[in-house]
Amino acid sequence: MDPARRLGRAQIDVFAQLGVSTVLLGGIYALIAVGLTLIFGIMRVVNFAHGEFLMLGMYTAFWAYSLWSLDPYFVLFVSIPLFFGLGFLTYVLVMRGVIHASHNVQIFTTVGLSIALQNVALVVWTGDFRTLRPWHSSVVIRVFGTAFNLSQVVAFVIAVALTLALFAFMKWTHTGRVMRATAQDHDAATLMGIDTDRVYRLTFAIGIACVGAAGVLVSPLYAVYPTAGLQFVLLAYVVVVLGGLGDMVGAMLGSLIVAAVEVLGSYVFGVAWKEVFYFVLFIAVLVFRPAGLFGQRGAETLGV
Amino acid sequence: MASLPPRRWAALALLGVAALLPLVVRDAFVLDSLILILMWGALSAAWNVAGGYAGQVSLGHAAFFGIGAYSAALMTARFYQSPWLGLLLGVVLSIAAGGVIGYLSNRLRGPYFALSTIAFSQVLLIVASRWRGFTAGSEGIPVPFRPGLWTLGLGHVAWVYVALVVALVYYGVQVWLETSRIGYQLAGVREDEDAAEALGIASRRLKIRAVTLSAAMTAVGGTFWAQYVGFVDPFYVFSIDLSIRFALNTIIGGMGTALGPFLGSILITSLETYLRATFSGLKTGFAGIYLVIYGTALILVVRFAPEGLTGVAGRLGAWRARADA
Amino acid sequence: MLTLERVTKRFGGLTAVRNVSLDVRRGDLLGIIGPNGAGKTTLFNVIAGYYRPDGGRVVFDGRDVGGRPPHVICRLGLTRTFQLVKPFGNLSVVDNVMIGALTRLRRVSAARLEAERVVETCGLAPHANARARALPIGLRKRLEVARALATRPRLLLLDEVMAGLTPSELTGIIELIRLLHADGLTLIVIEHVMAAMMRLAQRIVVLHHGEAIAEGTPAEVARDRRVIDAYLGDEFVLAQA
Repeated sequence: MDPARRLGRAQIDVFAQLGVSTVLLGGIYALIAVGLTLIFGIMRVVNFAHGEFLMLGMYTAFWAYSLWSLDPYFVLFVSIPLFFGLGFLTYVLVMRGVIHASHNVQIFTTVGLSIALQNVALVVWTGDFRTLRPWHSSVVIRVFGTAFNLSQVVAFVIAVALTLALFAFMKWTHTGRVMRATAQDHDAATLMGIDTDRVYRLTFAIGIACVGAAGVLVSPLYAVYPTAGLQFVLLAYVVVVLGGLGDMVGAMLGSLIVAAVEVLGSYVFGVAWKEVFYFVLFIAVLVFRPAGLFGQRGAETLGV
Repeated sequence: MASLPPRRWAALALLGVAALLPLVVRDAFVLDSLILILMWGALSAAWNVAGGYAGQVSLGHAAFFGIGAYSAALMTARFYQSPWLGLLLGVVLSIAAGGVIGYLSNRLRGPYFALSTIAFSQVLLIVASRWRGFTAGSEGIPVPFRPGLWTLGLGHVAWVYVALVVALVYYGVQVWLETSRIGYQLAGVREDEDAAEALGIASRRLKIRAVTLSAAMTAVGGTFWAQYVGFVDPFYVFSIDLSIRFALNTIIGGMGTALGPFLGSILITSLETYLRATFSGLKTGFAGIYLVIYGTALILVVRFAPEGLTGVAGRLGAWRARADA
Repeated sequence: MLTLERVTKRFGGLTAVRNVSLDVRRGDLLGIIGPNGAGKTTLFNVIAGYYRPDGGRVVFDGRDVGGRPPHVICRLGLTRTFQLVKPFGNLSVVDNVMIGALTRLRRVSAARLEAERVVETCGLAPHANARARALPIGLRKRLEVARALATRPRLLLLDEVMAGLTPSELTGIIELIRLLHADGLTLIVIEHVMAAMMRLAQRIVVLHHGEAIAEGTPAEVARDRRVIDAYLGDEFVLAQA
């Protein structure tokens, strides 16, 4: 092949690799963000502790693997109901009391929860970095000049499946409609006879189940430690703000955009600076289009 | 004099104890704890100016703290100047940064604003930790110790008094905010911004001023802290944990009160120092238990006792007054 | 004192206020009435600076104040109250009013004295140290008026200050407004409570779908065919007769 053609081929390979990286990453971010945006959209609460549930998901997978040699994808099936229950419990014990309280109270409640959970993990499991390496994390798939880790691909597939299932649930089932109605107008929903407390319970439980599942899915790909949730959740905030708080489709699209920014940023400037890009993007969106690229205008100044 | 409310007396009493302690106790550990209590109290008071008095709850105040800390460290370690110049630089830079955050506070409310402050402090963290050429990157900067007041190279006893002066000044700023015209107007803005505007208060400008003042105060605290502790680590000085800590002290002590941040600091810093010292030998993570306590305490306080310790003390006082009657 | 020249305000496709012109002279008590959605509060918001007019001019004391921020307009002497009252909930009644007084007075002690005086005038003295949050709606409305009064306005805009009051509270507020007017304050009052307006106002402007469809003395307006069709209904006219 002559050099000119070979160069073109190489460029396509690079773009392909970047593109697929973006999509794989985006799928996982979507699962994390979708839970956060649901909780905000329906309950009007920004859950600052979201990352900690991700971290707990990661630890769940880690301990299941270390103690009982259970593969994370098996653990996933157990973790979804487990984290659903955890979300339910957290709502009843912590969130229910502050649903109607001021913003500050809500912010500090979830911040307090975040601190407590992070440090419970620290005390019980120490700050050591853990890794889990199931067989599939070292299998590399090569297709059309791109190379990927099997764990990444499976995580992506499952994450997308769960996200789409949730989307279908919200759009086409009766309960989903009830939840969306409550999101639109809490008072009207009550007047219509909707048990909003039940809706909130369900919402929070689903949101936590999603992020717990995401934690299990990414456990073979990242190190596990008590503050592991932080990097993901900051990212999830960026996604959610980009897509418009409360907008599920926006969260999915936002995930792709953030993943793209991260992948491209890493490629051009090196891994060290990638975070700067999405933070700057975050602040830019907050300043110029605070309702997100797809969300409702003015939501952020109404304080929602 | 008799017209001073009880909480002012309490404040004076505490400050008096702090002032006299170094004359009686010479143990370095005790003095170190006292210095930290005073410094964290002052830093929380700085946060309180924006969060409690102006109602702008920021979770990114570490940005200003880090600016102050780095200004001092760079001035002394890299440019061989006095840290007092670093302090000045820190103030200037933090006012600029405070202006940015103030601008954001006028565009965003509640959780959106809090999120933006987190992002801001994180950007500074990443820049500081990656800019090897200037800030020595993730290794941090050791602050050289040169004895003397001009170089802020002081012994423990002297540091107690420096911290005390800062604490006193910051306490005074808060009292001023409670009793001055600007303070009342700020309270109006905090309670209902639209209503305040309708009454002739330039609320946007006022909010920016409050946030900027808070930023400068925090930066000054950061400078002193850096000089005292002797090492500036970007992952610490710009951390979210630190931002939360300023808020935590204030909320538990009583948000929007002058004494609150100091009470919170006394409680939290003491407990932390005690636990750290007791458990330093054991499993490294165990000292983290105090943070679990504080996380839980934050949840409980914010829900059941939103006025913090000062509120509880006030209610006890009122209850006792009624019982005596 | 205040002149509106063909003021228009649009929100997207909806024209909330269309070509409204009116004149208020010193010492007037002007009433603005109209069905819900007629654009009354929007008009207030434009006058007070919360909205920039899309067309026309708002002239206060010879100055064009269109689009100036609310706090500037207040300092020029025009203060408004809110239909859905906005008390400073965690502060006491006196502190609420004091914040209003601090717009004109620099010293806190002077402002406090002024606030106490206004609180007295508005009949809030027994509740002076109560938390605003704890007040029932009738007293909250009085507080809203008192606070606005403390800014020493030359023109006061009252937005549906009578809504939601019991008959006795209503009499009280009407008395207060009469008193303020007698003391020389110029007022524009938006109201729904027709009977009160008929007795209080010297002149009334009727808004309907954003337009001023009638203007005149209460008697003239009550007889105006357009007003009856749009708003009052024939029963009202018969009852008045």
